[in-house]
Amino acid sequence: MTGEIKLLLVDDEELVLRSMEKTLLRAGFDVETAGNAIAGLALFESTLDGGEPFDLAILDLNMPGLDGRNDADAGLKLLSVMVKADADLPIIILTAFDEVARAKEAVARGARAYFVKGREAGLVDLVNDIIEG
Amino acid sequence: MPSNVSLAERRAALLHAAAKVGHNVTSILDTGRLLEQTVDIICDEFGFYYAGVFLIDEADSEAGRRWVVLRAGRGDAGAAMVAERYKLEVNGRSMIGAATGMGSAIIALDVGEEPVHFKNPHLPDTRSEMALPLIVGEKTIGALTVQSTEEAVFSDDDITALQAMADQLAIAINNARLYSQNRQLLARARRRTRLLEAAAEVGRETASILDLDELLARMVDIICDAYGFYYAGVFLVEPDAEDPDRQWAVLRAGRGEMGAAMVAEGHKLEVGGHSMIGAAAGMQGALIALDVGDEPEHFKNPHLPDTRSEMALPLVVGDADGGVCLLGTVTVQSTEEGAFSDDDITSLQAMANHLAVAIRNAQLLKELEAAHAELVRTKTYEALATATLEAIHWIGNKALPITAGVERLLEDLDRLPPTEPERLESMREDLEMIADSAALIVSVQEHLIGPAREEQPRPGLAEDVVKDAAVATVIPVEMISYTVAPDLPLVRADTTQLGRVFGYVLQNAVEAVEGADEKRITVEVTPVDDFVAIRIADTGPGIPEEDLDKIWAVFYTTKGAQHAGLGLSAALQVLKQIEGQIMAANGPEGGAVFEVLVPVYDGPLPEATLPSKKKVLLIDDDDAWSRFATAALKDAGNKVTRSADGRAKLATFDLILMDAVLERADSRAVLEQVAAEGAGAKTLVVASGLRVEEAMALIQLGARDVVLKPYTAAALAEIVG
Repeated sequence: MTGEIKLLLVDDEELVLRSMEKTLLRAGFDVETAGNAIAGLALFESTLDGGEPFDLAILDLNMPGLDGRNDADAGLKLLSVMVKADADLPIIILTAFDEVARAKEAVARGARAYFVKGREAGLVDLVNDIIEG
Repeated sequence: MPSNVSLAERRAALLHAAAKVGHNVTSILDTGRLLEQTVDIICDEFGFYYAGVFLIDEADSEAGRRWVVLRAGRGDAGAAMVAERYKLEVNGRSMIGAATGMGSAIIALDVGEEPVHFKNPHLPDTRSEMALPLIVGEKTIGALTVQSTEEAVFSDDDITALQAMADQLAIAINNARLYSQNRQLLARARRRTRLLEAAAEVGRETASILDLDELLARMVDIICDAYGFYYAGVFLVEPDAEDPDRQWAVLRAGRGEMGAAMVAEGHKLEVGGHSMIGAAAGMQGALIALDVGDEPEHFKNPHLPDTRSEMALPLVVGDADGGVCLLGTVTVQSTEEGAFSDDDITSLQAMANHLAVAIRNAQLLKELEAAHAELVRTKTYEALATATLEAIHWIGNKALPITAGVERLLEDLDRLPPTEPERLESMREDLEMIADSAALIVSVQEHLIGPAREEQPRPGLAEDVVKDAAVATVIPVEMISYTVAPDLPLVRADTTQLGRVFGYVLQNAVEAVEGADEKRITVEVTPVDDFVAIRIADTGPGIPEEDLDKIWAVFYTTKGAQHAGLGLSAALQVLKQIEGQIMAANGPEGGAVFEVLVPVYDGPLPEATLPSKKKVLLIDDDDAWSRFATAALKDAGNKVTRSADGRAKLATFDLILMDAVLERADSRAVLEQVAAEGAGAKTLVVASGLRVEEAMALIQLGARDVVLKPYTAAALAEIVG
C-alpha cells in the first residue's frame, strides 16, 4: 500500500465519481472527492495553507463551474486556477471520446494528461505512470 | 273578249284579292306558310289555275350563275316541283329567269309563242303566263308566276293589280326573313350569353374550389348543364409507371353514372395515341368530330354509344420557362350530329383555359401541402433522432460505472477462496454478461454521438480518407485493392466523419467476407458528375434483397445481438449532412456493393504562403496525400524527402510531417523513435480523422502537435506556417 499518495477527484456524476473513487481506493491511493468545481477548489485550497498537498488531481470537464452554473468547460477553468496556484501539480482531465479540441486545450493549459471516461481500467495505470514520472 | 262591265268587275275583284293577299301576308311571319297561303289566295281569288313563288338562292351561286328556286306552288304540281327543287337560272331563258334578271313583269299571252317560256311538263295546260319580280327596295329577291289555261287572259290592269300584290308579298317575305334571322340572332345571342355565363361560372367556381376532384366533378356538370350536352369528362395527364417516354390521359371526372363507372375502372388513353383525347393531348390543340362515325380518331366507347359529335379540348397552362405545360384534356359529347357551333368551341376553350389554371392551382396547393407534410415529417424525424441521441448519450453515461464496477467484482471474485467453485463460476458468467451489455451500451453511445456532432466540411481527398479508414479498420493489405481514377477533384466533407463512413462500410465488408472462400475487398474511386464516387465491393454473400432498404435503419443488423446495427445509419446521417449519398446493392457476382457519393469541393482555393528553402521530411506511404504535400512544398521552393518508416537523418530536417496512419509501420513506434532522436518538437502529425486517444497519445509521445490533414496548399500553409 502506497498510502501517502493523495488524489483529488472532481466529477458531478455521483455514480461515476464513486466508481472511480472505489477503483482508485482499491489501488491503494488516498482519495478525496468533490461533486463540483467550487467544492473541488475548496479542497485544493485547504491544502495550500499547510495541509497535506495533493499529489494529483482528476477533473471532469462538464459540471457545475466556479460560478455555480453548469459549464462544459468548468474543468478547464478549474484547471487553470489550480495550475496558477501550483504549477507542479499533475492534473488529469476527463473527456468524452472524440473531444480532441478540448483535450488539446487542456494540455495547452497545463494538464499532464487526459482520460476518456468509461475506460476506467486504464486510469490506475495512468495515475501510476504520472506519479512515478 | 270580256265586256267593259265585266272588266270593271274583274278589276274590282283583282284589287280586292290584292288587298286580301296584302292583309294576309303581312301578318304571317313564317316564310314557308306565307308563300303557300299566297299561292292559294292568288289562285282562289283570281281564278288562275296555277301560281308559284320563286326565291333567289343566294347560297347557290357558282361562276357568276345564280338560281331562282321554287319555294311554293299551287296544288300537286307545285308540291311535286318544290320537292324536286325546281329551279331556273336568273337571266336565263325562262320567263321567271328573265323577270328576276330584269326586275320587271313579263306576260306571255300564249306561251306557245313566247320564246322565254320554258315548257314545263308539270303544267301542260298553261296557255297564258305572267312572271312578276319580287322586289324589296332595289333588290330583286325572286319572282311570282301566275298561269292560266286560257289564252291571252292577262290585261294591263291585271299586271298593275298583281304587281301591287307582288310588291306587298316581297315586303312580307323580307319581313318574315328578317324576323327569322332576328330570332336566330336572338337565340344565338342568348346561347352565347349563357355560355359566357357558364365560362364565367367556371372561372368563379374554379377559383374557390381547391380540391381537385371536387373541382373536376363540378366542371363536367357546368358544361353539361350550360350547353345541354349529354356527356363531358376531364382527363389529366400522368406519366407511365414504367416507361418515362409514355404519358396517359387518365379520366378523373365524368358526367353521370357512365362517367363514374369509367373513372372507377381507371379509363385512360395514351397521349399521342389514336383516341381523340390522346390526339388532342398530343397535338395540344382542339379536335372536333362532328359525326364521330366518320372520325378515325374517335375511340368507340361502349359506355357512350349515343355519341354523334365529340370535341376534345386540351388543358394547357404556361410554365415558368415561357413554354406551355399540358395538364390534360376535356371531352364534350353530344347525341346530335354537328352539335358544336363556333361559339361553343370558343367559349368551351375559354372555359378549358379557366379550368387549366384552376387545376394547376389545385395541383400546386397539393404539392405545397405535400412539401409541408414532408417538412413536418423531416422535423419530426429530426426531433426524434435528437431525442434518441440524447437518451442514448444519457444512458451511455449512466452505464459507465457498470463496466468499472463489474471489473472490480471480477477481481474480488478471483481473490475469494474457491470453496464453492460452481457458484463462483456462475457468478463470473453473470458478471461477464453484465459487462458485455454495458460495453455494448457504451459503444452505441460512441457510435451515435460521433456522427451527430456538427460537421465541418473542408476540401479533402476521398482516396486518402478511404485508405486511412482501411488501415484503421485493420484490413490486411493483401485483402484490399484500389482502382483510383487519375486527377480526381477535391471533395467537400468533414474528413473525420467521412472516415467514419468508410470505416463502417469497410468493417461491414470485412465481416461479410469472413466465411467466404474468396476474401477480397475492392475499392474504386471515380468522378461521377458533381461527385466523387467511392465503390466498396466485397466477395461476401451479399445483402438479402428484402433487406436492402432496412439496412439503413438504426439498430438493424443481421449479425446477432452483439452488433448494435448502428454503422450504416450513422453513415447515412453523415452523408445527409454533407449532401452526399450512400447506396447499397448486390454486385453481379453476388457480393455487396456500397457506393458513397461525396460532393466535389467547388469553393475558392485561396493563395497559400508556404515557407520556402526548408528541408522537409514526409513520413508517409507513397499515396495521394504525400504526392500532394510533396508537390505543394516543392512548388514553394522547399526540399522534400519522403520516408515510409521514418528511418532518415532526422537532425538534418527543418520540419517533419508525419501521417498518423502508415500502411507498413506503426506510427506510434515511428514517433517514439523520432522523439528519441530529439526531433519530436519539429514533428507535426497529420490525420484525416481525429480521435482523442490517438491524438493525445501521439502528443504525449512527443509530437509538436496532431492536426487534421491539410488537403490544400492554404491549409498546409496554416499548419506549417
